Amino acid sequence: MSPRLFALVPAAVAINLVVGRVANELALPVYLDTLGTMLVAVLTGLPGGALVGTVSQLFAGMLSGYQWLPFVVIQWLIALLAAVAANRGGFATPLRSAGWGVACGILCGLISAVISFALFRGVTAGGVTAIGTLLRGLGLPLSTAVTAASLVTDILDKTVAFVVVGGLLRALPKRILGRFPVASRAVGR
Amino acid sequence: MRRAHPFTSGAIALALIVLALLVPAPRGTVTLYLLICLGAWFAGAGRAVWLGLLVMAPLWLLLLVMHGVLGEAPRFALPWGGSLSVSGSAWALAQGSRLGAIVTASLTFATVFDPHRFLQAAVERRWPWSATFLLVATLDAAERFGDQARRLREAQRTRGLRVRGSLRLRARAIPALVFPLLLASLTEADDRALALESRGLTHHGVRTAIDPPADTALDRVVRWSLLALVVGVVIWRAVS
Repeated sequence: MSPRLFALVPAAVAINLVVGRVANELALPVYLDTLGTMLVAVLTGLPGGALVGTVSQLFAGMLSGYQWLPFVVIQWLIALLAAVAANRGGFATPLRSAGWGVACGILCGLISAVISFALFRGVTAGGVTAIGTLLRGLGLPLSTAVTAASLVTDILDKTVAFVVVGGLLRALPKRILGRFPVASRAVGR
Repeated sequence: MRRAHPFTSGAIALALIVLALLVPAPRGTVTLYLLICLGAWFAGAGRAVWLGLLVMAPLWLLLLVMHGVLGEAPRFALPWGGSLSVSGSAWALAQGSRLGAIVTASLTFATVFDPHRFLQAAVERRWPWSATFLLVATLDAAERFGDQARRLREAQRTRGLRVRGSLRLRARAIPALVFPLLLASLTEADDRALALESRGLTHHGVRTAIDPPADTALDRVVRWSLLALVVGVVIWRAVS
């Protein structure tokens, strides 16, 4: 592992934890707890992003319990999609970022719905479960309510996260961006 | 528990989490949860029990509503009116106590965890340096960025940023609060990379622990007993 990645990974994990808390304090209907994973995946590639995601999930476990560890798969998926998006210039415009965010949200929502339903019968974190409970109260079957709630929250969350990361990458000075060749490609420079 | 070897407290937390997944619910999980709360309290980690209750309260409520109130028939009547699903309530109790046990064990471990002692213990045992460094550096970074986020929030508010009000107003606060943090993580990475390289981070060699914590006979007995207990429960659950 390069010294730069060694320095970047702890900061990115901290970003995941801290920005997640900021979004929570602002009472926004998004988590934003994968920004660090996305950023490192775009800057250094899939292995770096997957490492940040894994370490983040382990640390989140220390703060809220290790029962959510199975959701580490979602972190890996986000790292994969962010790395693919970066290679294809997916952060060149806000619209392209949003498009990749929606795609990521759909995939992550479907997989987290499967994990949530199979292991937890739909009761996981507050916001998504509250929506699931509301839909269940409207008469939807449990599996449909869990899937719909996961899809809605994940699409919104990942779209905002991709747009934020894209905005940051485009705003970066060439001097910093030049150190990360994949990131330059991601914004089409 | 704070005086125990860092690997012992980690082993206790891990064993309790595995046991929470293995023991039959709800009787086993409820008993285990109560035992963990008592153990944490007597070990001087009562704060973890309260934090666990704070984390679990919304989950318990959602479990009750999602599975008890909105669960399938057959149902049983409540003395004060209304009814709950029989199978849903059983699941809510089983899952609620299991998650409570896992959360409280995790938070107790976090409360007694000392990064410095862990680093010294890991170096002495010759664990991979990169993994150990990542753990300790991440804890340090989380604290640093947490402070920075608080300062940023106050600074932006004095410049007129509104963090309360409509959803649109709050959403517009994201770039002002998040971009500087993301930028800081990138700009400091190079400085830190240089510092790490000059201090021999990538050097492959045996490192010496300056002040390794004592690994007593009691620590070793506890760790081996926990392993035996978990294996015993696995066998019991497999044959029963």
